[in-house]
Amino acid sequence: MSGRQVEQSTGSEDTAPTLIDCDIHQKWKDPKEVIAYLPDQYKDRGVQSPSILYDNVAEFSRRDAIPDDGSPAGSSIEKMKEHHFEEFGVDYAVLTGNSYLNLTALPNRDYAAELAVANNKWVIDNWLSEGGPFVGSLLAAPQKPERMAEMIRELGDHARVVQVVMPMASQHPYGHEYYWPMYEAAEEMGLPIAMHPYTEGHGVTRPPTGAGHPNTYFEWHTLLGTYAMGQLVSLVAEGVLAKFPDLNFVVIEGGLSWVPHFLWRMDKDWKALRAQVPYLQKPPSEYVRDQVRFTTQPIEEPDNPEHLLQILEMMHAEETVMFASDYPHWDTDSPVYALPPMSDEMEQAVMAGNAQELYGLPNNPTTLPTN
Amino acid sequence: MEKRFEICSTDELPPGKRTIVELNGHSIGVFNVNGEYHALKNDCPHQRAPLCMGKVTGTTSATDPEKVEWEDDGQILRCPWHGWEFDIATGESVFNPHKVRARSFDTAVESTSGDTSEESAADGGCDCGAVEGDQPPVDTYEVDVEDQQVVVYL
Repeated sequence: MSGRQVEQSTGSEDTAPTLIDCDIHQKWKDPKEVIAYLPDQYKDRGVQSPSILYDNVAEFSRRDAIPDDGSPAGSSIEKMKEHHFEEFGVDYAVLTGNSYLNLTALPNRDYAAELAVANNKWVIDNWLSEGGPFVGSLLAAPQKPERMAEMIRELGDHARVVQVVMPMASQHPYGHEYYWPMYEAAEEMGLPIAMHPYTEGHGVTRPPTGAGHPNTYFEWHTLLGTYAMGQLVSLVAEGVLAKFPDLNFVVIEGGLSWVPHFLWRMDKDWKALRAQVPYLQKPPSEYVRDQVRFTTQPIEEPDNPEHLLQILEMMHAEETVMFASDYPHWDTDSPVYALPPMSDEMEQAVMAGNAQELYGLPNNPTTLPTN
Repeated sequence: MEKRFEICSTDELPPGKRTIVELNGHSIGVFNVNGEYHALKNDCPHQRAPLCMGKVTGTTSATDPEKVEWEDDGQILRCPWHGWEFDIATGESVFNPHKVRARSFDTAVESTSGDTSEESAADGGCDCGAVEGDQPPVDTYEVDVEDQQVVVYL
């Protein structure tokens, strides 16, 4: 397999980024770092969240990503820079959080919300203030929408906060009007909302598959796309995309190959069932194409790479797909080898162009303020 | 030249009712929508289902997800197979999902004294050439009432 050329960032005003990695997982070395940001009444409780139910025999983080001092993978800025950004020429790294996405599955929504706020302050102070390639996400605990809307307005104007991230699994599907205050705030602040898996079947969320609780991590992980489908159809059908036309969503780590199937199915049903969703002023697939972006990892690997390319074409990847590595997790994708050969135009859009446009990133990351 | 077919007396086709007849080898549905008569080819442009056997109903509209309104009650025909909605008066699909128009034909009621009553809407009549998209249109036909007889021309 031939790899693509690695181009180092030139840092020039005139040169567009060539690689924007849309799913990088930063981690604290010690939960105390975040506890310091919690309101006093929760400090004794510390950082609690449901841990994943399924055993990953491949180990959850890459062993080669563990810093020399043995601290957790993803906890060292230096290691991340040297190991991933410099090696592959990453111009921007979109930080999306870590397994503490699961705090959003906690039944105590007040605590969950404050934990999210504390985490976000920690990210801003410890990672986004670092500058360089780092831009980041505000983690939102969707079970407390008004508080999260307030947080989005308060922290969302940081120059390096580029999106809000919510868990892929929730108490109610995300089209529900209960969540709309967050969407209003995110639209107002110009921040897309990303959805990332991990909470499926944990805490107050639903079973991790439509068929119920699977036996193994293998089953849970294979079906991540199904949660994305559930959330997306809800966002389309309940009119969120129609009501918030300037709000974008990002589906992270759900895979891609189901997207054409999903869009065709929605459009077909819409032709018959339009009367249930009359506020949709165009076919459902067009809302998705205009307002939803999908990240690549974990990319599907058919025996014939041409088949994957055809799927990318079917879903208009030159507008809708953004590269992600999922560094430093076990199922990471290489920026050099993961994707099939594509046209130059599609490759530029997928590797950097679509993300640059969505997140409004300047060509030169050093020109982006750190406060 | 159009041929004239007597369908039934107006008594036999009160508002809200329909009849499906075979005319010149074509299956055609004749509808009374609030006193106005319309005729549609009994043939859905999507997968050739017997369109005129579908439910006569209304539909919804909204510009905001929180404000959905019911409209056109009794004027919408839903294909019995896949539920596509067509405006009975014009043959047009409600939200133009395939940019199709059902072909419509003129209908009227003509009195026993020989007066010709108003012709009902026929703006979709034989307008097959204007249809965009990849699906064939549904035909609509001219309907009159003559001598209290519902008459279809095609």
